Order: sequence, then C-alpha cells, then structure tokens
Amino acid sequence: MDALNNLAGGFAHVLGGGAIFHALWATLIGIIIGALPGLTATMGVALLTTLTFGMGPDKAMLVLVCVYVGAIYGGSRSAILLNIPGTPASAASTLDGFPLARQGLAGRAMGISTSGSWLGTLFGTMILALFAPSFGEFALQFGSYEMFWVALFGIVIAGSLSGGDPLKGYIAGFLGLFVATIGQETNHAYARFAYGNGDLAGGLGLLPVLVGVFGVAEVLSAMRGPAVMAVSSKIDSVIPRIRDVTQHWKTILRSGALGTFIGAMPGLGEDIAAWTSYAAAKRASAEREKFGKGSIEGLMAAETGESACVPGAIIPVLTLAVPGSAPAAVLMAAMMIHGLNPGPMLAITTPEFIYQIVAMLIIADMVKIFYGLALVRPLLWILLIPRARLMPVVFVLCTVGAFAITSRLFDIWVMLGAGVVGFILRELRFPMAPLVLGIVLGELLDKNLLRGLVLSGGDISPFFTRPISVGLCALTLVAAAWSIPGLGSLFRRKRAIA
Amino acid sequence: MSEPDAASPFEGEKAPASPRADLVTAAVLCVFGIAVVTQAWQMPRFVEQSGTGLTAPGIVPGFYGVVIALLSIVLGMRAIRRGGWAVRGAAQGSAADRRQLATAAVLGVVYAGGMVGRVPFWLASALFVFAFTTAFEWELGPQGRLRRVIEAALIGIGTGIGVMLVFEKLFLLRLP
Repeated sequence: MDALNNLAGGFAHVLGGGAIFHALWATLIGIIIGALPGLTATMGVALLTTLTFGMGPDKAMLVLVCVYVGAIYGGSRSAILLNIPGTPASAASTLDGFPLARQGLAGRAMGISTSGSWLGTLFGTMILALFAPSFGEFALQFGSYEMFWVALFGIVIAGSLSGGDPLKGYIAGFLGLFVATIGQETNHAYARFAYGNGDLAGGLGLLPVLVGVFGVAEVLSAMRGPAVMAVSSKIDSVIPRIRDVTQHWKTILRSGALGTFIGAMPGLGEDIAAWTSYAAAKRASAEREKFGKGSIEGLMAAETGESACVPGAIIPVLTLAVPGSAPAAVLMAAMMIHGLNPGPMLAITTPEFIYQIVAMLIIADMVKIFYGLALVRPLLWILLIPRARLMPVVFVLCTVGAFAITSRLFDIWVMLGAGVVGFILRELRFPMAPLVLGIVLGELLDKNLLRGLVLSGGDISPFFTRPISVGLCALTLVAAAWSIPGLGSLFRRKRAIA
Repeated sequence: MSEPDAASPFEGEKAPASPRADLVTAAVLCVFGIAVVTQAWQMPRFVEQSGTGLTAPGIVPGFYGVVIALLSIVLGMRAIRRGGWAVRGAAQGSAADRRQLATAAVLGVVYAGGMVGRVPFWLASALFVFAFTTAFEWELGPQGRLRRVIEAALIGIGTGIGVMLVFEKLFLLRLP
C-alpha cells in the first residue's frame, strides 16, 4: 500500500507545470533521434542535457527520461523501413522487421514494435518500482570496499559482454578509467596529467567527452559510408493487433524479464538486451524457421527486450550510482549536474525520487504509444533527409552541447579530441560502452580504493574478507574468467553436460 | 544440440580489425601504458600528510597504466599469433570513403576549432552547414546543382538563426 501511495505521490509531483507539454516534445525528439541512423540514444540524452540546464531538476529529468525512452523506441522505425537500425539497440529488430516490411506488412511490424516496446518499458518500470527501493536500502550497507568492487565489476562485465572482443573491451574500460584520473584528485588536490594547464587541471568534462565519442565520431562514421537507400512508402495499418500480443505473452514476459535484468547489469545496455531476448525467443519458439524471415515473435522479443532494458538500466543508477547502459550513464551525469545525488544515499535523502522516476517512465511510455500510432508518415519523411544535410546540423548541436555546460572553448577541443579518438577506436573495433563506463565510474573507483586503504591503514584484507565484498569480488572474478577463451568454453561445456 | 545464437546482420561492420592493425594498436597502447606508469611514478607521494603514502595521487593511474600495458601486450601477442607480423592488412574503405571522411573531419575542425569563438556563432554555423552540405552534394552532378547550393545556403542560415533563437532566447544558454 505504501508503494502505491508513493507512486501516486510521484505522479502528483511530476504532473504539474506543463509536464505533459515537456513529455510530448521530448519524446518526439527522442523518437526522431532514435529513428535517424547515425544518431544514438546516448547522443540524444547528452545533447538534450544542454537544453535542461535552465530547468528545475524534476522537469529536466522528465525531459531526459522521455528522450531516452523515445530514442530506444524510435530506432525500430529505420530498422523496419530501411533495414538500418536507428540505434545499435534496434539491430536485432532488422532481422524480422525488414522482411515483414518487404512482405508489405510494414504497418503491422511497426504495430508489433509499438506494442512490444510499450509493454517492455512497462514491465521494466514495474520491476524498478518493486525492487529499486528495497535494493537501495540494501545498498546502504555498501562501504568503500564494496563500492570499489561494484565499480570494478561494472568495468569487467561491460568489457566481457558488451559485444565483440572482451580483450578490447577491457582495454577500452581502462582507457576510460584513465581519462577519469585527469585533473585534480580529491585527497591532496594534486592536478594529475595537467602539465600546468588550468583547463586540464579542472578535468575533462563528462558531457564534452560523451558528445565527442558518440556525436562527432558518429558524424564521421556516417559521412564515410554509403548513403542510406530510400524505403517503400506504402504502409498498412499500424494499429497493434490484440492477437499479436496475446499469442506471444510468454515471449513478452520472458523478454521483459531478460531485458530488465540485462539493463540492471552495469554497462551492458539495450543492444545486448535485444539480442539476448531475440536468441532466447528463438530457442523457445515452435516456429524457429520463421526467425529472420519475418517472425512476429522475433520482432516482439527484440522490441520488448530493448525497451525493458531502459528502466532496468536506471535501477543501478538510482541505487548504486552505477549506470546500466551508455544512455543511463549520461542520465546519471545529468542527475549530478542538477544536484540530485543518485546512489545508496538516495534511499535516505530523497526516497520519493525513485517513484518520481517511475512516474516519468510511465508518462514517457504513454506518450510513446501515442506517437507510435499517430506519427508514421511524418517519420517516413524525416528518415529520408539526406545525411549531407542532417549531419552538419548534428555537428553544430554537438558543439553547442559541449560548450554550454561550463562555457569553456576548451570543452569544444575536448569534444573534438574525444571524437577523433572515439572514431579511431571504433574503427579498430573497440566497444564504446566500457569506455563510457570507465569514464563514469573512474571517480567512484579511485575515491573508494584510496578511502578504503586509508580506513584500513593500508591493509587490503577488508577488500576480500567483508561478506558483501567477497561476494562482489567473486562475481568480478567469474565475469573476468568467463571471457578467457579456455575457461569460458569450459564453463559452457559443463553447463551443457549438466 | 543448442540452437546457435542469432547472428548480427552487420557482420561486415563488426568484422575484427586486421591483425596488423591490432599489432600497431597494441604497440601504441603499450607505449601509452608505460608513459602513464612513468608519469604516475613521478607524482608526489604526500607521505608527510598521510603517514602511509597510501593516498599518493599516482597509485590509481599507475595501476591503470600497468593494466593497459599488460593488456596491450596480450593484444600484440594475439595479433602476432594471427599473422600480424607477416601479413599486411588491406587499407580499410575505398578512396572515396577516405576522401569523404577527410572532408568531414577538416570541415569539423575548421568550424569547431577555428571559427567558433572568433566569428559570431550563428554565422560560423551557417557557413559550416552550407560548406558541408555543398561539399558532399557537389558530386551528385551538375544537374540541379544550383538548386542544391541555394538549398544548402538556406539550410545553413536556418540552422544558424534557429540554433541561436532556441538555445539563447528560449533556453537562455550562452553560445560560444
């Protein structure tokens, strides 16, 4: 009953002062950003953070949550119509979405995408509302030793599972951690790697780095490849069919649970959630042969999984100050900019904030379904904007986004540098999620390692003997061992034999 | 037998980098890691303040430098095992791709690094958008070029003025 009262309080708090207006425009921008190939949810949340500087924390969070939810959903539009995922999260949706569109069922595919995405976010939001408050209370037992392991676990799990090569994932994670050490440290205010430069002594701003890695690098990548081909403009009814939902309720529940769980794991994100949900649905399906050729179940699984991941990724942000995905990392940075302090103390200082986030997610989900039904043809036109006209505008917005937070030209140079480095690392197939997580978690790891050592007088045993620490340490070691080729296959073989 | 995992339709994009590229990357990262360790070692220890030296600013970056260097050695050894020492990797992308990339990069640096802060922001943005669009649409051929150039100019002016109005007047942010 308390939870319901808190939720009602959350809605009452959020719904005021033009909240619906903000939700409408922010979700629309999110959907457009997500739909346009080359613009990602992370970039969208980072750029829109700039616009929220002048707003109060509540409105700012509502806007950013709406952009996040909208962008993850919007990616499916181009996945279905262009066979190009608007965001990496929608890559799995191309497998069955585009074949459905080619069969003349683009509208039905978008209906499935809308219903799957809506239910996925709703499912994940319910899990957030149910478990985040109690997990937040549990997290209050975490001290410096435990927070050190949480941060390290985030880097290791993101490196292992964020797609591609785990070795490069780890290197990307540690490069991110290194970036976070630039500037004054907390104990002695010593400026590390500053070389007498006042700007460097202040550290590299998270937002300029993220805008560079996700914005500038995206612009460079988009301009290098071939242009996107035009789509069929013939679309059937987009109204979701009840039967498509009722027939696949097991897939929806499974994908919702998987998506939320993967979201809650630090640094994995929506693309992993979509692929895992898709693979699980394929394994469990009686019609496996249809997967990849226009399976409704496959599309439903991918869409539900990626959208359930959004609230899932916010759970560790609120309870541990550890982001579950790259867009959630930017959302967390925005929370800090607006004076909100996510993490274990949230359960004591502002416990009602969790329910306000729940209310924001539900509002964003509702607005998303409205646009999913009403905004089909205008989105088609937007998808056809040539990249030579869109990308320079995106670059201008990146420049504004990097500059606006502290009004330093130095941040524009940081954005350019991060963009070039990010582009090169991508070309060399280094995953970006561990890099971002490293930058975000760097301070947490640094501070807690040193604080822990000071508290124990230089004794490292508390890192390995405290009950929660030892559990987190074991998890980190298992995650690291999993990515070692020989050991990983041994685990998998034993599981298969069992 | 378990069903194989769903395959990404973007295998081409996710194809591993060539062993030669990995080898060069590993060498660069190893030098970088060692440089970080060296710099971290030279940082003050503040033993007088802390008593133990455990709060020395160089401990954490030094640890990261060691890990980066070690991981890059593993990457390099793997690249050598895959033939990175002997086989030269093919240059990635076509000449046209590389030209487009260079054009985008140069225009971006000239705009963000050279014009922003020196030229009024709306004008710098308008000129950048116009130059960028025109450069990339030039190769579409002479037919309709004048129309495309005029449209690029209009998009540029629209972007410059639009960004100024939205960010400065509506959201009250300072522009460069």
